Amino acid sequence: MMASFKQWIDRNLKGDPIIWGIVILLAIISILVVYSATGSLAYKKTGGNTEKYLLDHSMMVFMGLIVMWVAHKIPYKYYGLIGKFLLLISIPLLIFTYAFGSTVNDANRWLTIPGINKAFQPSDIAKLALIATLASLLAKKQKNIGDFKKAFLPMIVVIGLITMLIGFANMSTALLLFSTCLLLMFIGRVPAKFIMAVILVGLVFLSASVFLGQRGGTFFSRIEKFVATDEIPFQAEQSFIAISTGGIAGKGPGKSEQRNTLPHPYSDFIYAIIIEEYGLIGGATVLFLYLALLYRGMRIVASSTKPFGGLLSAGLSFALVLQAMVNMAVAVGLGPITGLPLPLLSMGGTSLVFTGFSVGIILSVSRGDHSDSMEGSGEENKPRKAFQTV
Amino acid sequence: MNIKRSIVLRVRIAFVAVALLAGAIFYKIVHLQFVEGEKWEAKSESINFQYRQVSATRGNIYAADGSLLATSLPFYRVVMDPIVAKEEVYRAGIDSLAFLLSSYYRDRSADTYKRMITEARTTGKRYLILNRKQIGYQDMQKMSQWPIFRNGRMGGGIIFEKVEKRYRPFNNLASRTVGFLNEDKYGVGIEYSFNEYLEGKNGRALFQRIAGGSWKPVFDAEDVKPDDGYDIFTTLDVNIQDVAESALLRQLINKDAEFGCVIVMEVETGHIKAIANLQKNKSSYGYGENYNFAIGDQGLTEPGSTFKLISIMALLEEGKIGLNDIVDTGDGTFRFYDRTMRDVKQGGYGKITVQEAFEKSSNVAISKLVDQHFGHSPSRFMAYVEKVGLDQPLGFQLRGEGAPYFKKPGEKYWYGTTLPWMSIGYESKLTPLHTLTLYNAVANNGKMVKPMIVQAIAKGNAIEKKFQTEVVKKSIASDKTIKALQQLLEGVVNNGTAKNIFSGDYKIAGKTGTAQKLIDGRYTQRYYTSFAGYFPADKPKYSAIVVIDSPKGFNAYGGDVSAPVFKEIADKIYAQDLKLNKKTAVPTYLAQGINEFPFIQAGKVDELQMICNKFGISNHYNGQGDNWVKSVPQVKSIQWKSNPTENPTVPDVSGLPLRDALYVLENKGLRVVYQGKGRVKNQSISPGTPVQQNYVINLVLG
Repeated sequence: MMASFKQWIDRNLKGDPIIWGIVILLAIISILVVYSATGSLAYKKTGGNTEKYLLDHSMMVFMGLIVMWVAHKIPYKYYGLIGKFLLLISIPLLIFTYAFGSTVNDANRWLTIPGINKAFQPSDIAKLALIATLASLLAKKQKNIGDFKKAFLPMIVVIGLITMLIGFANMSTALLLFSTCLLLMFIGRVPAKFIMAVILVGLVFLSASVFLGQRGGTFFSRIEKFVATDEIPFQAEQSFIAISTGGIAGKGPGKSEQRNTLPHPYSDFIYAIIIEEYGLIGGATVLFLYLALLYRGMRIVASSTKPFGGLLSAGLSFALVLQAMVNMAVAVGLGPITGLPLPLLSMGGTSLVFTGFSVGIILSVSRGDHSDSMEGSGEENKPRKAFQTV
Repeated sequence: MNIKRSIVLRVRIAFVAVALLAGAIFYKIVHLQFVEGEKWEAKSESINFQYRQVSATRGNIYAADGSLLATSLPFYRVVMDPIVAKEEVYRAGIDSLAFLLSSYYRDRSADTYKRMITEARTTGKRYLILNRKQIGYQDMQKMSQWPIFRNGRMGGGIIFEKVEKRYRPFNNLASRTVGFLNEDKYGVGIEYSFNEYLEGKNGRALFQRIAGGSWKPVFDAEDVKPDDGYDIFTTLDVNIQDVAESALLRQLINKDAEFGCVIVMEVETGHIKAIANLQKNKSSYGYGENYNFAIGDQGLTEPGSTFKLISIMALLEEGKIGLNDIVDTGDGTFRFYDRTMRDVKQGGYGKITVQEAFEKSSNVAISKLVDQHFGHSPSRFMAYVEKVGLDQPLGFQLRGEGAPYFKKPGEKYWYGTTLPWMSIGYESKLTPLHTLTLYNAVANNGKMVKPMIVQAIAKGNAIEKKFQTEVVKKSIASDKTIKALQQLLEGVVNNGTAKNIFSGDYKIAGKTGTAQKLIDGRYTQRYYTSFAGYFPADKPKYSAIVVIDSPKGFNAYGGDVSAPVFKEIADKIYAQDLKLNKKTAVPTYLAQGINEFPFIQAGKVDELQMICNKFGISNHYNGQGDNWVKSVPQVKSIQWKSNPTENPTVPDVSGLPLRDALYVLENKGLRVVYQGKGRVKNQSISPGTPVQQNYVINLVLG
């Protein structure tokens, strides 16, 4: 029985088994905590039918895992192309959403897919596509990475354009994505002087979005609130109470009290609820799981044979884990309130599917066999040479 | 450096940076828990935020004329945490506080209050209910200025717990019908039966606990707003209810009876105008509304002679008898098997007509006739009972309606004596409301309508539900039978057992009932007396039933006990209700020839046309431009005839209201003197006389 199960796993779940394990563990935690945290939401919206959110969320988690499985089946070399394609699609989608999308908390971020009636954020697609495209660009230009015109300019134009479009409606996501891209450029050996220049250019673009976009006011008021330390915002205060009353071992699953007063306990502040229910131990475990995920993603870089795979894996891992770190930092009061969900854990509907997609890509890179098969085909040997030239 | 090694190195640097961030997060958690822990825990207790229920305001209950029968007002329960007050505050204030409490509640001495509070303070009891009596808002304001209390919740330990309480502006008027609802959501009357509409839906909102122990709502988009309850509009008439209750009470006291009830119903619509229920209080003197005998289970009793109406109806419908047929009641006794039927009059009525038998309420005559014609097939008799729906609950709007009880032919307990006794109102059980429904149907020319007490459910101006009169049976019997029954019921008051309530002003029709009470399986010398009927008999407007249980004294029959109450109520309603009172109701404004629509005598044509058009009265005007007109009533319309005032002669102002007459005449330069009220009847200078400036014209209004 066990043997056949293991065989099945070996046959179907390729790639880094530790990443698989971490993701499945996080999915289980996610369902548990979201079920507990949606109590008050369910009471208000469905008249006490808490199972509604449990089922909806479990469904999306499952969808995310399916997409992840499908994505890890696709050889990663195609993701350069897929990334560019998605990037081209995402530009009109972002503009369309900004103009006509549905409003949540006064920002147009969501677009409803007709037919299945699921809303998604085009910025999720754009984020994924931008990182894949950037990884591909970086890999191609490794030979002359120091060339401003040929290597650097195309990258910064793409990054600037996409983050600006996202920034109109969602400044936090744009800023985080921009930082992730900078980090990826640093990893991809872009000279430091260019990165400094990028920061300057970025600031110009960002301020433009802030003044033109919808969320500029909110963005600045949040920063202002964070800087003015004597005034602790309501959410932060409630989050701190949740964290400090959780203690070392927590109040126990489903025993959160702060879920009733903390706004968005199932998304933005889910980490506070995790600590309240599972204590410092639970909080540290989740922190550790994300670090472990990043570590495994980083190991792929070391083991991969081509820069594209390594950079793709690194980019996606950092994007995911950085967002997680920012979310948790906000919950514990290390940063201003951003409204970013905790990837893989928060109840976020279709966002879970896109997160699953990006983990699937990381897994695809982690399978040695895809790159082997490429070597076998013989046509893709050039990048390898390029890898070794300098 | 090798590209790959460089990349791997850079990734590791980035990883270390992220790991440092993770470390910082971990450090912050530890810091929050162990360094700031107490601060946040304290905060969670002191500045507590909580989703609290926001109670929906309960709907009001209105009478038919819009007066409030029940509404919700805030009251306060006075609770004290005696430990809160500081020693010096406590010592300085306790004596005067105890004195004030004692003089406010008047139930315990100042010393008792002082001892009670001091004891709670020393034993550490933190929640002391000072008095169960809840106080109003004004008193709460006053009380919060008392010593110790004036230091507030945090300084003085005073807690005013708000309780929303039902308030009935008319106190006990129809109290059992308006009803109540206790904390377990159980109750009686309209409050209980219509609770799902009245209660509304409670909401939820985020509250912050503020100093003083009150909760302050915090604005939050995730609030669920309470949905206030609906108002209930009843058919009850406060005046009739008042009349019914006081008339009943007087007679109950007079006869020292156990309980009594009155229902007044509008014949055509089935609208219940009053339900009074009074019962002797168990522990104390007087009577109170403790049970709805008119409708509920406990009101189910053997109806007695009022049931004879059905027996006669069945006999007439079968075509077996005529009102002038002769029945031999013999010496007033008649044996059916092992039981003897007796008439009230010693020695019997001898040979009498059916009409007389009913008017005198002869048990022997009715039971003999019924046994004679239905004895062989009692189910045919039962078919008439079923036809008028007496065997089924009415489905009345109030919950807890008593279900009628009838034996069925062929059942174990159906004896040979069952039918004769059933025909005079025994061996079965009905509520007063049921009996009244039957009498109302007779008054309504055979059309049986379902009694109703709630006519609409509404919130603000939006009507949620409107109840129309429900017709149970278009016709309970043939027109001929109904006419005969009406004649019989009038006869009871004209010549029969209720002769004492005969009135010259208007006619009452009805039937007395006196049933011996069955207690522990034996008929006793206690009676259940009733009178059911309607008035005015020639054009019935209201029907009513009066029931008085166990009257004491010599005259314990329906005619002597219940009928006078009926009469008193009918008299008062008759005097109040102008529509009933024909003599004064004939309007003097009605001109010759028309009595269909209001008669307008004269005025300005555009105004009159507008008024008439609004009311849908057809009117015609052939003239042109003339402002002033007089009306010429046609068969079904009004013709306006112009009444020129432009000529230099005195105009005809007869029929004009004073305002218009003054305008017309003073424009001519005349000076007006007038007497009386209303429209112009006479003018001292005839129309057409040349106008002389400053002449005085005398008007007589009327």
